[in-house]
Amino acid sequence: MATSLHDDIYQLVREPIDVAALAGHVRAPEDGAAVTFDGFVRNQSHNRPTLYLDYEAYESMALGKMREIGAQLHERFVIHRVAMVHRLGRLEIGETSVFIAVSAPHRGAAFDACRFAIDTLKRTVPIWKKEYFEDGAVWADGELPPAPAATPRAKPAS
Amino acid sequence: MPLARSRIAGYNSNVTPISQTIRVKVLFFGRLKDVVGHSEDSLEIAETSTIEQVFAPYVARHPELAKYRSSLVASRNQEFAAWDTPLGSGDEVAFLPPVSGG
Repeated sequence: MATSLHDDIYQLVREPIDVAALAGHVRAPEDGAAVTFDGFVRNQSHNRPTLYLDYEAYESMALGKMREIGAQLHERFVIHRVAMVHRLGRLEIGETSVFIAVSAPHRGAAFDACRFAIDTLKRTVPIWKKEYFEDGAVWADGELPPAPAATPRAKPAS
Repeated sequence: MPLARSRIAGYNSNVTPISQTIRVKVLFFGRLKDVVGHSEDSLEIAETSTIEQVFAPYVARHPELAKYRSSLVASRNQEFAAWDTPLGSGDEVAFLPPVSGG
């Protein structure tokens, strides 16, 4: 079975995400299931009506981290293809900000991999969201990525 | 280092050799960019400097940065890195607030 990473898609885009095209991309004759995650802009945040969102990324690192997640998916789960796209810039209510599609021979791996992918993306990919309200804008509370601790010092020889 | 010394001596023999410096690229994102006022900077630092030592002059210039220090992670050349990571010439250092993609 082909599990080449070259069949995968990892992108940061500034245009609307074509979710149908990505969902179609991961489907192959040898697969039996595809699971997709569609994250889109909610009309409120903590009961405050949202006007729109603005996403920015550390683009080179974000793409690298998205590809790393893809590599982890292929290591951990029996899946076939991955498509993972995040949109940047201004997004209106209801527009897709992130879309992930995973295909696999069987549904279990596709579900597990898709869940792992979005959870890991939200924790480790350097992308930030600014929320715009009637009375101002705030950077959304986020998650602190796990980073290496201080370099261990050599212990004195005993 | 003989090479460095001879270069300095050739330029002006009265100048005492100083420690070498390196230049690094510094990036700020999210709320840090709002505080610092720009997203990209170029900084000349002593060659043994760590990421922590790159952050320090920005805190001196923008004291409110100090309150974000405990909720930041740093990266070196697009990989998460410990704050005591030593830097090399041409490295790209970024200071990253908690991420909120998705």
